[in-house]
Amino acid sequence: MTVHEMKHAASDGARLEAVGGRLSRVDGPAKITGAAHYAVEQQLEGLAHAVMVESTVAAGTVLSIDTRAAETAPGVLLVLTPDTIIPLRTASDWFGTPPPNVPYCPLARVVTYSGQHVAAVVAETFEQAVAAAALVKVTYDETPAIVDLSDPKAGDGIPIEAMTKEWGDAQAAFAASPVRVCAAYNTPREFQAAMEPHGLIARWQGEALTIWEPSQWLDGMARTYAEWFAIPFENVRLVSPYIGGGFGSKALALAHSAVAAASAKMLGRPVKLMLTRPQNFTSYGGRAATRQTVAIGADRDGKIQSIVHRGVNETAVDGMWVEPLGSVTSIMYATPNFSSKQNVVRVNTVVPGAKRAPGENPSAFGIESAIDELAYELGIDPLEIRLRNYAEEDPHARKAWSTRQLREAFAAGAEAFGWAKRSPAPRSMRDGHHLIGWGVAAGTYPVRRAHGEAVVNILADGSVEVESSSIDMGQGTYTILAQTAAETLGVPVEQVSVKLGDSHFARAGVAGGSRLAGVMTGAVYKAASQALDELIGLAIADPRSPFHALQANTLVVRDGRIASPRGEGPELSIAELLSAVGREKIEAKGDTMPATTTAEERYKNYTTIAMSIPHTEGDYSRHSWCAHFVEVRVDEDFGTVRVSRVVSALDSGRLYNPKLAESQWKGGIIMGIGQALLEEGLVDRRHGRIVNGNLADYMIPTNADIPDIQTISVGIPDPHSSALGGKGVGELGIVGVAPAIANAVFHATGKRVRDLPITLEKLI
Amino acid sequence: MNDQSTISPTTLSIHLTINGRDHALDIEPRVTLLDALRDRLHLTGTKKGCDQGQCGACTVHVDGERVLACLTLAAQVAGRSVTTIEGLAGEDGTLNAVQAAFLEQDAFQCGYCTPGQIMSAVACIREGHAGSDEEIREYMAGNLCRCGAYPHIVAAVRHAAEGLRS
Amino acid sequence: MRDFSYLRADSVEAARNAAALPGAMLLAGGTTLVDLAKCGVAEPSAVIDISHIKGLDAIDVSAGRAVIGALAKMSHVADHAEIKGRFPAVSEALWQAASAQLRNMASIGGNLMQRTRCPYFRDPANFPACNKRAPGSGCSAIGGVTRGHAVLGTSEACIATYPGDLAIALVAFDAEVHLGERRLKVEDFFLAPGATAEREHDIRPGEVITAIEIPGSAAARRSTYLKVRDRQSYEFAAASAAVGLELEGDGRTIRDIRIALGGVATKPWRARAVEDALKGKTFDEATVRKASELTMEGAVDHGANHYKIELAPRVVARAILKLGETA
Repeated sequence: MTVHEMKHAASDGARLEAVGGRLSRVDGPAKITGAAHYAVEQQLEGLAHAVMVESTVAAGTVLSIDTRAAETAPGVLLVLTPDTIIPLRTASDWFGTPPPNVPYCPLARVVTYSGQHVAAVVAETFEQAVAAAALVKVTYDETPAIVDLSDPKAGDGIPIEAMTKEWGDAQAAFAASPVRVCAAYNTPREFQAAMEPHGLIARWQGEALTIWEPSQWLDGMARTYAEWFAIPFENVRLVSPYIGGGFGSKALALAHSAVAAASAKMLGRPVKLMLTRPQNFTSYGGRAATRQTVAIGADRDGKIQSIVHRGVNETAVDGMWVEPLGSVTSIMYATPNFSSKQNVVRVNTVVPGAKRAPGENPSAFGIESAIDELAYELGIDPLEIRLRNYAEEDPHARKAWSTRQLREAFAAGAEAFGWAKRSPAPRSMRDGHHLIGWGVAAGTYPVRRAHGEAVVNILADGSVEVESSSIDMGQGTYTILAQTAAETLGVPVEQVSVKLGDSHFARAGVAGGSRLAGVMTGAVYKAASQALDELIGLAIADPRSPFHALQANTLVVRDGRIASPRGEGPELSIAELLSAVGREKIEAKGDTMPATTTAEERYKNYTTIAMSIPHTEGDYSRHSWCAHFVEVRVDEDFGTVRVSRVVSALDSGRLYNPKLAESQWKGGIIMGIGQALLEEGLVDRRHGRIVNGNLADYMIPTNADIPDIQTISVGIPDPHSSALGGKGVGELGIVGVAPAIANAVFHATGKRVRDLPITLEKLI
Repeated sequence: MNDQSTISPTTLSIHLTINGRDHALDIEPRVTLLDALRDRLHLTGTKKGCDQGQCGACTVHVDGERVLACLTLAAQVAGRSVTTIEGLAGEDGTLNAVQAAFLEQDAFQCGYCTPGQIMSAVACIREGHAGSDEEIREYMAGNLCRCGAYPHIVAAVRHAAEGLRS
Repeated sequence: MRDFSYLRADSVEAARNAAALPGAMLLAGGTTLVDLAKCGVAEPSAVIDISHIKGLDAIDVSAGRAVIGALAKMSHVADHAEIKGRFPAVSEALWQAASAQLRNMASIGGNLMQRTRCPYFRDPANFPACNKRAPGSGCSAIGGVTRGHAVLGTSEACIATYPGDLAIALVAFDAEVHLGERRLKVEDFFLAPGATAEREHDIRPGEVITAIEIPGSAAARRSTYLKVRDRQSYEFAAASAAVGLELEGDGRTIRDIRIALGGVATKPWRARAVEDALKGKTFDEATVRKASELTMEGAVDHGANHYKIELAPRVVARAILKLGETA
């Protein structure tokens, strides 16, 4: 929705505009001046303010909701309860599974977790709505809750057959191995904690609904709203010009979204709802708590003979979330025998959700800790043991890697870190009161692919517009799409404006699974190529074109000027040519779909995740890879751990913009430091409630917790992974950070911490 | 008591000086400076991240010092001078040195904490707390960034501070 | 947040009069009051803004003492050259507290009135039982998530930790709080919960904190504040210690030592047993570590906070040893 002025600082020399150039963020000037208006910052006439009321029990039935005091409070327009909210229809899930034909009520009568929305208040001002919401009195018939994975009532859970991966005879091979390690690794409930809270503005105009909401997936969320309100998909417009961080949390329309949209319809006024920070810990799921056991059997040279892996993640009583815990376990190392199985356990929580690298993240914590334990068991350097078991092909899919620069990552990272100077024994490096530890771990993330479309317009003044319903939550979509269009068309990047974040633009799928850049650069490349073809076609063929007489086969466009490849004949700017041939505009819509794709398939592609292309499709297995080298300093008296140095070498294939890719990698690494040392949703076991749902008590790293971080790109273009050769960036960086830190803590202290986070009481 | 005690207990008529401009407001006493800026004056550059004094996204300057707008009542700063991110660049659009350094160093991703970071950084340099990377990290610790731009924020503050010193 | 009326006091006298009104609460920096009003813990009917009172923010340091006006900002006191020179523990406690923004807002007087960060106290909607908020209603924390809770000075009514830093240093150096005419030791100003958890301070209706006075001493001059926490910054203490040390002319014998603890007790906690064990002793690491074990006399844990009993003596010992190195 937003056109950016291109006043970037040209810092890194020539060819900034090209794909691969270190162009500064094109949306940067708006963000550093406060001019970037995020979704809920739209100013609308007659805006009313909604505030949610949440359950204070984790399980039970709502007996009564006394709304009298709230209804008569100053400024109150509407109090919504399950009995008064308009009925909605159930929407399909993100796979597009047809919904059951039952009504949907986003306010709960039956409570399945603490913090579930049970009522809402809409008032003239935010302050009035907050005050009135506190006056709503709810009574419950409370029933016992299953509070977490360790609750005796939780049981073993439900086996997820689709997660089972087996080859060889893993149990027998493990039993027969001369060297064995086996341990349990746990990760707690973790939260995305994006700095921008969830919220939205909903406005109805007749049967047309406009939603301004931070979104990682405009088309998917628009579909949900359309289904809830039984209106055509085209009647929903979702607008999300900037997203203040998502990390997986902003891909779905949620219960509070439905409440806001319903109340706007009921009132005939636009309604704004912003969840409070505590509500952001209970209104949608963070990363599920996980438990894994990893058993590795090896021979005395450290060659792995067998890996036996069992995993469990928590899910909700009324919703299913599978955190694929065997995803890294099954591909990181070569092993002739392997077994991985997984259960999910229902507990009284909001349905867990995607948080940066769902699956790969906890999976790597298990296997990358376990192989470190094996290294010490054998007396082999932790880096060396990884190289001895290097997987030359995908051990699970039995396919060649498209590209796997992991060996290069180990080498480059070790060199830059100075790994060779490491003293092998635990507790052998110190500086005063600080025990120093060095640890290494690898990470990986699959290349998830899908199709996208984009519109590229060349305007009469020679400027270029790119339009897409994809989004920029900080990954740099605005910037890399400008670079892609500029390079493809041969125009200066200053002449390109990128419009994103409006579901009425050309469609895009979810910004999740690190797929968006690969998908959208491909779509923009295609649309821009079509526009260029049309432009050159006009220049050659139109009788009014100055090039017409040249009878050239082709022309080139450089710096926005059209000329013959050898430079003979005329040279015109794009604007001059369009003027000469009497064209206002060249429009091109490009998509990456096969020509035979039906309209229904297209709709499904953009509004569900059912049509994602498997990363092992065809002859190759496609993944990003990385190796993290970490130094920690552990205070020997206090048990406090500080990360003092990080060197990470990463293979994300070709980087569309290294400056922005490095930022994303570092962001992942920093979130991984938080995961390793700080982050944990603390559950009161009597109430089944998170008690630290705020940013003071659910601690994420501060600036003071983070050292300088060195990232090294070891990727090479991967033609099997995307049109322009890139692989995923956004999620890769976090994978492997927590085990690298845990391994460094072991090296520093001799204590193996297998339960995240590594807090001081575990080391004291 | 001054004359404000005679005004209706539920609505105050106040004047706020924001970015050098006077704004007249009729508001309830419980309205925070943050909500006054965002909802009443449409100055949405100041962000609401936690509304509890725990993240720093709402950092503004009051009489030149960085404070949190979410824990400041609007009524309390009547008579004081408030500067927000919208008032940082020059009248002609010339970026403040810190803003320029944030862009150059890629010191943000999603951009939501960024106005608070920049307001905090400007004050940090002015206070004399940008003498070393370690000091910058400590004195910028009140501004959380979930995208993890911290190393680049430190670099931006360092560069801006060096630029201003020279 | 319920609605309230807003009054600006332009003198201490006006503040006293207004503070005596039923339901009135004083507003200085707002970092506690506005926060707790949003949580639904504080429900003032009138907010008396004292932040515009002139002359109450002076910082006056002489050889014998420091007098800090109640409206002086935490940041200004932390950065004050004379405070840094004569009372380093006070400066260090201040700059390690909260964040730069909050320190620019919070006043010294308001800081003494800071309330606990107990998550049960701060969430009345979910946890109605809290003896601090509703005397006799019970304590939701006991039996709950107690990782941050106190191990010293607790009672069956309350185990909430005193969260502040500055007061730890003030208690170590026998500072006084001025409540107009009435003056009392900061140590006595804070009340352990006992059976009356709702009473946190010895302050009477209509009283206004006007200043804090810290006596100068050799121990205060050679002092430090050591704060240990999960996060490097912007967090309350897991355990902290304010320590001041004076050695005899021989440079080895401990003439005076002051120790107070933060993050582990229901109020700022003076560790007199450790002080007594060290006075007159020769300064060496073994002696210091042994004496520091007395830090946790009488401590009672509630499970997840047991680590504080291990941690606090080590924090005390490290702080003392650090001072010894700076001779």
